Amino acid sequence: METRLANIWRLTVNEKKFIETALQSDLRIDGRRPFDFRNISIKFSREEGSAEVQLGQTHVMAFVTAQLTQPYKDRPNEGTLSMFTEFSPMADPSFEPGRPSEAAVELGRVIDRGLRESRAVDTESLCVLSGKSVWAVRVDLHILDNGGNLVDAANIAALAALLTFRRPECSLGGEDGQQVIVHPPEVREPLPLIIHHLPIAVTFAFFSNESTVVVDPTHYEEAVMGGRMTATLNANNDICAIQKAGGEGVLQSVIMQCLRIAGQKAYDITTKIKNAVESYNTERALRKIKRHPSSVALDISGAGVNIGKNQNKPVPQKGDSERSNLTSEKSVADQSMDIEGEAKSSEQQQTNKIDGDAKNFIGGPSSWDPYPAGVNSDFLKASLASHGITMPSRKEQDSRGENMSGEAKPVEPPEDINVSSSNIEASETVLRTNGEKTLKDAVKPKNKRKMKSSSTSGR
Amino acid sequence: MENKPSSSPTSFVDQSVVPGDVVLDLSNMTNQTLKLGGGLRQDCDAISVMKAGKLRFSNPNKYWVESSQKRYVPHAGDSVLGIVVDSKADIGTLLYVRVVKANPGMNPELSCTDASGKAAEFGQLKDGYMFESSTGLSRMLLSSPTCPVLDALGKKLSFETAVGLNGRVWVNASSPSTVIVVANAIMNSESLSGVQQRIMVEKLIQNLKLST
Repeated sequence: METRLANIWRLTVNEKKFIETALQSDLRIDGRRPFDFRNISIKFSREEGSAEVQLGQTHVMAFVTAQLTQPYKDRPNEGTLSMFTEFSPMADPSFEPGRPSEAAVELGRVIDRGLRESRAVDTESLCVLSGKSVWAVRVDLHILDNGGNLVDAANIAALAALLTFRRPECSLGGEDGQQVIVHPPEVREPLPLIIHHLPIAVTFAFFSNESTVVVDPTHYEEAVMGGRMTATLNANNDICAIQKAGGEGVLQSVIMQCLRIAGQKAYDITTKIKNAVESYNTERALRKIKRHPSSVALDISGAGVNIGKNQNKPVPQKGDSERSNLTSEKSVADQSMDIEGEAKSSEQQQTNKIDGDAKNFIGGPSSWDPYPAGVNSDFLKASLASHGITMPSRKEQDSRGENMSGEAKPVEPPEDINVSSSNIEASETVLRTNGEKTLKDAVKPKNKRKMKSSSTSGR
Repeated sequence: MENKPSSSPTSFVDQSVVPGDVVLDLSNMTNQTLKLGGGLRQDCDAISVMKAGKLRFSNPNKYWVESSQKRYVPHAGDSVLGIVVDSKADIGTLLYVRVVKANPGMNPELSCTDASGKAAEFGQLKDGYMFESSTGLSRMLLSSPTCPVLDALGKKLSFETAVGLNGRVWVNASSPSTVIVVANAIMNSESLSGVQQRIMVEKLIQNLKLST
């Protein structure tokens, strides 16, 4: 008990006096000027829709997931966006596990308001079947380290995660057109959320003497300050939300000055976020292109067996021309990425045993991959979808694929793209026939990954 | 043991060790008294390490492991910086005190005078700025030939510091900018070698002179 008390950070009168004295000469304890933000670093992980932001010593992670649910009765055409915050006890000695504290609730509310009131995330595009089925997007914010100014850091993390999140595409089908079919990422490229603009939160701290204002307070400054205000604006200088909860009274002129400064900061931060997201997207696309040699094995075998079925399915290539070349690679590579996430040891063993030869053929950057792309994913799908007839035919396909992959290797890239897209059609059609059974279970997935586990548990 | 050419203790002294390392083999040494300091334990004939850190040796026969962490364990005789948490008037006051008695499980006993009863600069510290550091950094700041960062800062700036072995450092100077430069220099200097510390201090002071 005493050691826990001993570890709580306490404020001395010396610090309070010093911080205020230094501020009178426009100095802050970490050497910044009053209106300087700390360095922002945005990192992404392999999982789509997760971002990690470091603002000085403050460290926040955001995760975005989506699920199909029923819409609210008064808004049958709109999806929902909800925000959950968790103040981890490792971030600060004063955070307790369990029920969110007042500060946690306030943080979630400020960020939620910035996104919802300004309609930054387009919720109408999240509607699948009006009145019955919409996407509910959930953002989880985890505070890992409290170095002050959690609101701004969490906001940036939430935006970065929303920008890189991809939701599965779904379409209506079934007998009466009322049934929702969710396409797994290997079959159809997942779609990004439509985000109109980026509301950036900028926090100001006010101190007791005259009109001293600083931007982006550290947690020392937060302990000493008299009041705070968070202004959420976007790069066009539209004010999305303002939060000033208690604290000192502030002159109107000071508030206007703060809003002007917030506009500049919002523009800078928007540029940073966009650059980080763009470089992440390019890097992800490049990663998928590298896997391409391994997917050649898939192409030839698929095209060989399912020529007849090719006419039925349109090529599932999404809109933009710049993405059309990458789409097929993405789909194929998504298979492997998805599979890496799966914790199905039994299937892995099977695939590794049977496709051990395939591993030797497929060289290059993916050779370190324990679950090689292309060939194995097909087999996995077959075993998940039906345990019966399709499996042996798939096995033949695979062995044929192995043989042909060796020959097919020196094919130029443009050809590969077309061939791989035709193969995707093939795998789609095979899936479709089994799809009615398995994907029904997947209509209400917990999240993208668990779709597969629910389909297997449904067996 | 200093005579042995292949003795393992000399190869471990001043090296980083981790828990489990056996640093001394007593079967080779007879009729010697060794003093083991913190972080070492005797297991029959082997002296093994309990805490990660650097093994140190001082003549004639003292061995101990020096480690650096955030948590301070009180020992009698240490000088520490404390903050008053419970009294009628003075909550938040910063005090420079000496640990008189420290038993495990009990709150340590502190005193504002040194061992002979004189005040000797213990007591309340006024003004200035206090920040937290690791225990290793505090020990380095208090080490006997003055630590390079304080030496380099002292040549150009005038300031006073009080270092607590519990990981707290207090700095005071006439102008806030000096205090900030000194505090940041000390905070950055933990992992740097002597030469790097001096270079860092030079850079910081140049920035300070440019801005004033």
